[in-house]
Amino acid sequence: MERRQDLSLGAIFVVLGIAAAWGATAYSGASGIYPMVLGILLALCGAIVLIRAIRSEIAAERVLIDAPVKLYAAIAVGVIYVALVVPLGFYTSSFLLMLALPFALGFRRYAYALAVAAIFTAIVYIVFSVFLERPLPREAILTLFGSGG
Amino acid sequence: MDFYINALKGVLTFGPIAAMIGATILGVFIGALPGLNPVMAIALLLPLTYSMDPLVALGMVAGIYNGSMYGGAIPSILLRIPGTPASIATTFDGFPMAEKGEASKALKIACYSSAIGGIASAIALMTVGPLLAKVTLLFGPAEYFWIAVFGMASVGVMVGSDPVKGLMAALLGLWVGTIGLDNLSGQARYTFDQTWLLGGMPLIVVLVGLYALPPVLQLAEKSDFKGLSAAALKLQAVPFKPGELREMIPTWLRASGIGISVGILPGAGGNIAAFLSYNTAKNADKDPGSFGKGNPKGVAAAECGNNADNAASMIPALALGIPGNVVAALVLSALVIHGLQPGPQLFQLSPVLVGGFMMEMLLTSLLILFLGGALSTRVFAQFQRLPGVLLVPSILILMCVGVYVINGRAVDLWIMLCAGVAGYFLEKVNVPLAPIILGMILGPMAEQSVRRALLISRGDATELVTRPISAVLAIATVLVILWPIYKAMRRKSSLESGAGLV
Repeated sequence: MERRQDLSLGAIFVVLGIAAAWGATAYSGASGIYPMVLGILLALCGAIVLIRAIRSEIAAERVLIDAPVKLYAAIAVGVIYVALVVPLGFYTSSFLLMLALPFALGFRRYAYALAVAAIFTAIVYIVFSVFLERPLPREAILTLFGSGG
Repeated sequence: MDFYINALKGVLTFGPIAAMIGATILGVFIGALPGLNPVMAIALLLPLTYSMDPLVALGMVAGIYNGSMYGGAIPSILLRIPGTPASIATTFDGFPMAEKGEASKALKIACYSSAIGGIASAIALMTVGPLLAKVTLLFGPAEYFWIAVFGMASVGVMVGSDPVKGLMAALLGLWVGTIGLDNLSGQARYTFDQTWLLGGMPLIVVLVGLYALPPVLQLAEKSDFKGLSAAALKLQAVPFKPGELREMIPTWLRASGIGISVGILPGAGGNIAAFLSYNTAKNADKDPGSFGKGNPKGVAAAECGNNADNAASMIPALALGIPGNVVAALVLSALVIHGLQPGPQLFQLSPVLVGGFMMEMLLTSLLILFLGGALSTRVFAQFQRLPGVLLVPSILILMCVGVYVINGRAVDLWIMLCAGVAGYFLEKVNVPLAPIILGMILGPMAEQSVRRALLISRGDATELVTRPISAVLAIATVLVILWPIYKAMRRKSSLESGAGLV
């Protein structure tokens, strides 16, 4: 496990370093030299990790993800949330996230989740929109009903 | 002295005082909730401080830092679950005390010890910091360059378990720091014709992603559906025996000294300070066998040690621009947000701010005495009845609101998400995250300094190593990088000679 992970990690950094150094050739003078040196050093460090992993004979156990299904579910719901924040509005999408994410992770006490979602969204609204007056993505639902929101 | 009187005038106004009280309470609450940690809380807080007065913003950072270091003791004592990594050593004697029905007493000791450690550390910061800053007045661009490189190399090498991966992380941060318009030539680098990249990769957005998302994903993986029962959180008042607190004075003195020393060293954190203090207290005690079975001195040593690390870690951060740990790196980010360049000039250019922050570290340590203790613990402990799974979306929402309000751009939310997922996997494969942020903070300073130094010397690179201070810093940097290689080679040869004997 550990060996395979380090092989991938080293390879990723070698590619990233070479790409950074190659990209830096397009910049003139000192603007290009500094990122090029960084790219080369990054590729070198990646190569050390890679070579060490190739030479290592111990395939020690190192778990990358403890609960893959839950992790992927959390990331997927997070991605959908970020995609919906602007079109749906901040509070609508956040309220939905408060219900959807615990559900996706297996939480089935719906009334409890609903109560916490309502209280938390209200607190966030009071702190950020009322006290701090921060502009957040407008609620689509208000536009739908023709309110000034 | 004028330095501190002026700073105190700035701190003792309504804004900073309210910020310190509120943030210390919030800090205790964050420390008390396992899964939340001070680094995450400060990362979440920073985007919201953009429009605030810098002393209010730094007061909040100080409050959260000191408060959470004490707050971590609450679940350590009541449930043997460390609230923060720095409070692991508190469980050794704290939980056995709770089992004996002395939870309330253990919490009081933790409260007093945290406050004492924090106060000692803040005094060390206030005395050593300005002295160190005076030395740095002799520095030119070549020295600034080496300071930045030395800081990154030492944190990169020492912070994780693998020096090569630490250096790799620092280089990654430095490279990310080059994205955007080059300040000296005006050339756009790695922007791929995207206008949103011209200003560079936003530091705070990457920081929130890297530090707040991985713990959230771990909470999601754990998915705690129940929270804690009320019965586990009941406390019973137990008075101190006569002279019991007086007997702890040597423990407090030792732990404060150890915590301060560990804090100054780059790379070491509160958990190491707590372990070292605990072990020293155990070895110095007449009855070391009683440690681990509910000896109050064990709680005192661990809690005093981890709080004594706090302000001391700000000494190299404020005086040299080299953060000793992640929270110090976050404080430097807070300074950057307010347009201040961390490093030696800081004491000259913004004395009220630097002095004020030191005062705030001291005052928030004192506040623990009033806001901690058994009574408030009863209140904070109640939050542990909330199922952990509900914290996952709550923190994600706070992250998004914080990141969105910086520039009002949806693209920042995607950057945060990508940085967070990358941070989760990098941590799992032993690549430390602190050097990445440090590279992003110190990178521009390192690049500009080296290019200025070369301009002054008309392209003569030897100028970078021929001045006495820069030569010393260059040698120190090389030694820091070579030290782990030397250690690895020695370990290998001793293993081989061991095998040869067999």
